[in-house]
Amino acid sequence: MSSAGVDAILFQDSLSSRMVAPDDTSEESMQHDRIAGITSNSPTPRRTPRRSVIVVLPENHVVSPDLVTDRLPAEGNNEVVDVILACAGQPHSIAALQRRVRDIQILLAPAGTSTEDLRELAMNQAPGDIVTLLSGSPVCA
Amino acid sequence: MSQPLSLSVIVPVRDAGSTLREVLAAIRTSELPRASYEIIVVDDASTDSSVGIAARYADTVVKLSGRASGPAYARNRGVELARGEVIAFVDGDVVVRPDTLPRMLAKLAERPDLHAVSALHDELPAASNFISQYWNLLLRYGEQRHSGRCAQFAPGCGAVRRGAFLSAGMYDEWRFMTACLESVELGERLLAAGNGVLLSSELKVTHLKQWSLPAVCREVWRRSRLLARSLGYVRMRRAAPSEVVFTLSRMLTPAIAVLGTLMLAAAFVPPSHTIKGVVVLMVLLLTNLPLHRFYARARGFGFAILSAPLHICVQIVSGVALCTGWILRDVLGDVSPDATTQAYSEVGLEIWPPVPRRL
Repeated sequence: MSSAGVDAILFQDSLSSRMVAPDDTSEESMQHDRIAGITSNSPTPRRTPRRSVIVVLPENHVVSPDLVTDRLPAEGNNEVVDVILACAGQPHSIAALQRRVRDIQILLAPAGTSTEDLRELAMNQAPGDIVTLLSGSPVCA
Repeated sequence: MSQPLSLSVIVPVRDAGSTLREVLAAIRTSELPRASYEIIVVDDASTDSSVGIAARYADTVVKLSGRASGPAYARNRGVELARGEVIAFVDGDVVVRPDTLPRMLAKLAERPDLHAVSALHDELPAASNFISQYWNLLLRYGEQRHSGRCAQFAPGCGAVRRGAFLSAGMYDEWRFMTACLESVELGERLLAAGNGVLLSSELKVTHLKQWSLPAVCREVWRRSRLLARSLGYVRMRRAAPSEVVFTLSRMLTPAIAVLGTLMLAAAFVPPSHTIKGVVVLMVLLLTNLPLHRFYARARGFGFAILSAPLHICVQIVSGVALCTGWILRDVLGDVSPDATTQAYSEVGLEIWPPVPRRL
């Protein structure tokens, strides 16, 4: 159990290639390595702060890619920003975001996980020194 | 592009897991449109669950690693990321009321001559133990007597125009590496630069921190020593008369003068230690009478009686610490960070978290 009281799985890059193989142990171990890689806090001193952006998507919420890209460095800026998408259940309409943001990490929590729990879960995975938290908006009926 | 915000609320925290949830939830219930303000929590190397709790409510969380650098440093890091026209600082153990932040914004909007506004402690501190009640009411007493235009930019909850804050040079993170008088010093600089600074009796906040006798004595010791060594007692007394050290020492100074006179007179009369003891006690109690009347009104006669010996004890700590500060100032000079920090600063080392800046 995580500190927020729910289990969650972290994926990186495209959803489809990761989500269909939960029983593949080699894939799981690769994911574990990735998770370990992004959550380790390197003791090496840095010259500039590492930044992370967390996008929180509770059930039936979507996010506008513009909202996220507004918080990312402009083109030509070499600063690396980790983007984590924290979703409760299956996310809706994130293809556009995935096209605009490369190397997005997706944190899947069980459906019904509250916004606050999602935020805390994602924060536990965020390697940044400066973490920006954004919220999606409800899906229009 | 992001819309300009009217307010950035900066909350510096250090191991504030026990109070932070209530503090941030209170900010979120402010009577302001959610889109008009942002919450930035700066975690000063906490070892508890503060970061996780902050994530539940904040828009931005800054994680400072390594050793603690103090609230002045943490607040400055928050301001560097803030997008608001007005910056509000709320401590990790201070609960705002729903109308506190809107009223601060309204005051700044109404009065262009005003650049910083702070809230007072209310008379109902959350911690119910005797020492917490005594200490919080003491702070309240000092602030109430000297509210209005002064250099007191209250550390618990205050708002300042971004431009004025930046032109004043931000918090002094070089000298104030622990939570102690940094806001009073900032208030004095704001005032000296011609900015209007107001401690408003209409704005109130609740402090959640639980105090014990050793904690109160430590706080009084640190504040008094730093005030005497670094800021200058006389100058600060003129600028920020509501600072708690002045509340303590203002009443101690005449008591010492009267006692000195009595002791001198006692040399010419036959010795009677009991009478002398009673006279000394009466003088001390009489000089503290206004404060004890305030305690009696706020908490009853019994509380006022019980607080009398405690207050004398705290006054003695303050007096000794002030003298120590003056001696240290003469011997060692002004306070400064450790040698490593000074060396890093000299060579201009670029690192995260950044080396504290000199003013």
